Amino acid sequence: MKGLIRKSLDLCYGWLEKSPLKPLKPLLNAADGFFFRGAEVTEAAPHLRDGINLKRMFIFVVFAAMPSALAGIYLFGWRALWVILISYVVGLGLEVVFAAVRKEEISEGAFVTCILFPLTLPPNIPLWMVGVGIFMGILFGKEVFGGTGHNIFNPALVSRIFLYICFPAVMTGNWIRPMEGWGGFIKYSGDLLSGETLISASLPQAGDAVTAATPLTDFKATGELAPLWDLFWGNVSGSLGETSAILILLGGLFLIITRIADWRIPLSYIGSFVIFAFIFHGINPEKFAPVGFQLLSGGLLFGAFFMATDPVSGPFTKGGRWFFGIICGLLTVLIRGVSGYAEGVMFAILFMNIFSSLIDELVLSYRYKEFRR
Amino acid sequence: MAEATEKGFRLLTRGLIKDNPTFRMVLGICSTLAVSNRMTNSLAMSLGTTFVIVSSSLSVSLLRNYIPKRVRMAVYTVIIATFVVCVDLYLKAFYPLISKQIGPYVGLIITNCIIMGRCESFASGNKPGPSILDGLGVGMGYSFSLILISAIREPLGFGTMMGYQVLGSWWTPWILMVMPPGAFLVLGLYIWVLRTIYPEKK
Repeated sequence: MKGLIRKSLDLCYGWLEKSPLKPLKPLLNAADGFFFRGAEVTEAAPHLRDGINLKRMFIFVVFAAMPSALAGIYLFGWRALWVILISYVVGLGLEVVFAAVRKEEISEGAFVTCILFPLTLPPNIPLWMVGVGIFMGILFGKEVFGGTGHNIFNPALVSRIFLYICFPAVMTGNWIRPMEGWGGFIKYSGDLLSGETLISASLPQAGDAVTAATPLTDFKATGELAPLWDLFWGNVSGSLGETSAILILLGGLFLIITRIADWRIPLSYIGSFVIFAFIFHGINPEKFAPVGFQLLSGGLLFGAFFMATDPVSGPFTKGGRWFFGIICGLLTVLIRGVSGYAEGVMFAILFMNIFSSLIDELVLSYRYKEFRR
Repeated sequence: MAEATEKGFRLLTRGLIKDNPTFRMVLGICSTLAVSNRMTNSLAMSLGTTFVIVSSSLSVSLLRNYIPKRVRMAVYTVIIATFVVCVDLYLKAFYPLISKQIGPYVGLIITNCIIMGRCESFASGNKPGPSILDGLGVGMGYSFSLILISAIREPLGFGTMMGYQVLGSWWTPWILMVMPPGAFLVLGLYIWVLRTIYPEKK
């Protein structure tokens, strides 16, 4: 089997050299890398220290996000699969174009971005918006800076914030209750066509799904708290991959055990979040929800495990990672409680991404004073 | 004579692409970001700014031998401010709607560094004729870039062009394009395209 793959790949290489499709060589290299090749030396973070290479590292993140993605399909219907598929087609297409123009390898960073981004979207978002979002996010969040390893911001979050600011009605006021019974594996919620012909005035109404506010919006509007048990298992309305705390924890622990993600960021982020939420809830329980509710609702766990741990846009020093997580936690509590937005994880992480190299600089100049003249 | 015409022509056209104040020199960005969300605002702003550039270039060029070197900036500012007030009053009198929409940015033409730059680098050392041509060229370059940017921002942000509906009711407006950050994205794309087509000479 292995020999057969090797032979056919070699055949393709030989054929490609002569054909006019030569710019597509990165595509073949990527396929080759999946099966055979080891890591090459990296020039920018994420740096690798053992046998595991960049491709495998990113593929592991995709594995870790799988439970959440499946939960998204189970809770909100087959339509979630379309959302993910479109994200992949557009995102990888853009990546291939840039790799071909730059004559570089296709980087697997796009695989991660394209799975994480749809998981942060409302279930019945119009499908064209998914394409626009991932296109803008990868173009302006990553490619203009020079591709994977050079981006300042997490591209998945850039995609999301672009949609969030462009189409606030769809991104914040438009949620559906999860399916009952056998769930979405046997249902297709929302019509594919209706998603394309929508305008902001008439919001998408999914077929047999019931619209409902997310727990956090509910709290902001009425002060009502969703039951913790539902939040833990994911039986609440929310973004595709964000509702089920248990499955996010599962994927997050997988990332930490395989050492793809550094445990310091999720720990310090969630830890500081819990502490600050506790303090602020004590001061003003009307604006700041109780700790347990806040911890399990919204994108906090997803953000802490999957978004903040991005090795490119976060700091790389250990001390820097602690600091990064702590401030992220504080900002999230404050944005949720005091600002007009119900959720603050995206803003907090993007905001701290700006400072991550500055944080590294400070840590290095403090720790390695004598080495740095 | 032919040589003089050619020189004048070159002065007039170099501001369009080669030395475009917005795309090339990245000057006057504040007003570019602020007003380019609608084509009508862009047109009003570019006409106003071009008028100010040309007339202040002319005035500075006429007065160039009488302005003491040490206070030249202050003198330029007074001259520019005079013309800006003219534009502001004119808009208020005849186009109150546009004046209201671009509001403070008309007054802020004073701080547009394109104008000061032309006064300082060209008009203060050249005869009135070339100074007018140079000012006109740069003004046209500024207008050109504003029009290009709003040609993307207005349809995407409002679905309209010059106030007329060009995209059907199926279009969902991109609110980001109405706000200044949207102009950053569009401006960046244009700079990217122009630098790829006309690479900077080392």
